[in-house]
Amino acid sequence: MNTDENPKRGDITLVTGVIGADTHIVGNRILSLGLEEAGFKVVTLGALTPADEFVKAALETAADGIMVSSLYGQGELDCRGFRDLCIEAGLEGILLYIGGNLVVGKQDWDSVEKRYKEMGFDRVFANGTRVEEVVEILDKDFAARKKPARKKAGT
Amino acid sequence: MGSKTDDVTLSAAAIPADDFAAMRAENLARWPTGAEVDLEEAVEFHKSLPEHKQLGWVMRQAVREGRCLTQPRGGFGTLELQLELMRALDRDGMADIVPTTTDSYTRNEQWTQAETGIEESKRQGRSMLNGFPMVNYGPRETRKLIEAIGKPAIVLSGTAMPRLTCEIGFAAGYSGYLGSGIAYTTSYTKNTSIAEGIRNYQYLDRLAALYLEHGVELHRRQPGFLTGTNVPPSIAITVAVLDTLLAAGQGVRNYGLELGQTLHLIQDSAAIRVCGELAQEYLAAAGFDDMFTPVTSLHWMGAWPQDDAQAAALVSYGGTLAAVGGAVSVTTKSTHEAYGIPTPEANAEGLRTTRMAIYLARHIRLDDLPEFKAEVDLIRREAKPVIDKVLEMGDGDAAQGAVKALEAGVLDIPWSPNRFVKSRVMPARDADGYLRIYDPADMPIPKDVMAVHEEGLKKRAEAEGVAYDRDLAVKSVYEISEPLDRLLPFPWAAE
Repeated sequence: MNTDENPKRGDITLVTGVIGADTHIVGNRILSLGLEEAGFKVVTLGALTPADEFVKAALETAADGIMVSSLYGQGELDCRGFRDLCIEAGLEGILLYIGGNLVVGKQDWDSVEKRYKEMGFDRVFANGTRVEEVVEILDKDFAARKKPARKKAGT
Repeated sequence: MGSKTDDVTLSAAAIPADDFAAMRAENLARWPTGAEVDLEEAVEFHKSLPEHKQLGWVMRQAVREGRCLTQPRGGFGTLELQLELMRALDRDGMADIVPTTTDSYTRNEQWTQAETGIEESKRQGRSMLNGFPMVNYGPRETRKLIEAIGKPAIVLSGTAMPRLTCEIGFAAGYSGYLGSGIAYTTSYTKNTSIAEGIRNYQYLDRLAALYLEHGVELHRRQPGFLTGTNVPPSIAITVAVLDTLLAAGQGVRNYGLELGQTLHLIQDSAAIRVCGELAQEYLAAAGFDDMFTPVTSLHWMGAWPQDDAQAAALVSYGGTLAAVGGAVSVTTKSTHEAYGIPTPEANAEGLRTTRMAIYLARHIRLDDLPEFKAEVDLIRREAKPVIDKVLEMGDGDAAQGAVKALEAGVLDIPWSPNRFVKSRVMPARDADGYLRIYDPADMPIPKDVMAVHEEGLKKRAEAEGVAYDRDLAVKSVYEISEPLDRLLPFPWAAE
């Protein structure tokens, strides 16, 4: 890839899944379909995915970003140390997005966003965010990096 | 525990008493609090409860008196928070049935993680879990919740692994338990086989039957709402009938059927009617003539609007739908639903809003309305061929039939996270607000029935000026959560 150009969506691999003991698959499935239709390479892990499986899949597929969904409120417990797991696996620069109902109950959004940013997520999305918006922000974030977060090891 | 390799030995027959005793001993040894379970003592406790705190009796009495009872959902991460919640729902919310939802670690038998959740909740002074970790607390501590309320209590635990939670719950004094093998395995798991999920619920049903043998009639309930995402009534009812046959096989006689609301008054009323009727018809055909199958209606299970006013309309309308449809109880939500777990106050308010709606609609029925009759007829023509085919595939055995039919896609569940489900069937809302099937995939739904579905969906695509394609199904997932200015704007504003 020419590093002077913005990366093409087809060169970007994204891992999607619902973290922890959470089965809310619908939004995540619609997101995955939408990202595929937008041209990204998408690796779908589905519901009930432990944190380490996201990292494992990202390593195996040389992914550039991980898109975590959490709808059931326990995300705060599930996502602790997520960035550290990535770093330990050698995925220092990987883009981390999370979206959904991220805490138990109705809480002030700014404080929720702050909590997740402190956990190492690059972007934090509220429930109800549409796919088009996510695609737009992905383009922006990858353009800012001018290249996918990681070299495609072995390819 | 049931494994994936023994599908061939799966059947709808009752677990023999000796086998069950061995299974129980093994099960109760999986976590320290299992040792606190004492069936004889629990039976005595249930018998000591007044009738109005026994859900089996309360559901029967509601039918005798033509009542539509209210029950919310709710659970927090510590005993103290749960006590406060259940008292608030009982007193401030006037809940007729008081719930305890378990947290998702408990539902997935991750009790070590649940323990961490309890400690974190205590440290932070707020619930870090989305429900009550009943197994960790054990039956003795959990019984304090039963003693704190004046209504019957039900365990809500969306799981395919209820074995230990049901032992703890019944021993604590809960007289109701929601969940079933086909419905929850297809809706709450990814890697659990249908056979394994069915076996796990056969354990729970067998346990309920064991209490019945000791003179305690517990209320078991089937979650026909499935994945909660645009589930057409015929699919909900098909699974409800099959799960009912499985529960009957283990000896359960008090078995509720809980349908998610489609939000169409006529369709929901028709669904409630057909669900009760078909359950009894298939039970009779299988030789069971004494099973009580009251139908519960559940507030909208799809995506909720974030605006309080819009959500309040769904809560209130949900009471109307249940009452007009003749449901024996309604499971309520609150204006906080879009944000997840409600506060006790918001939850109690949802109960009262619903209760008032029930009061207002108390004598309204649609029985003679032509559209109601047509919808009853349509749902029957849609569900029966599928149920018959499933039973045929199992040579009359509902357990075998369900496993084979789900594998073949003859029975299919929309938006399922389970990899043993094809999940290719695509529902969508039509021009008149009915929930229809856009693509039946491999389900044997008759052509003339599908023609009715297609007509309504094409009418919608035409009215909205969009293509007749799968996007209709995706849009229908979000529709109800859209803001009002998109759903129903003032149509004549200047450009």
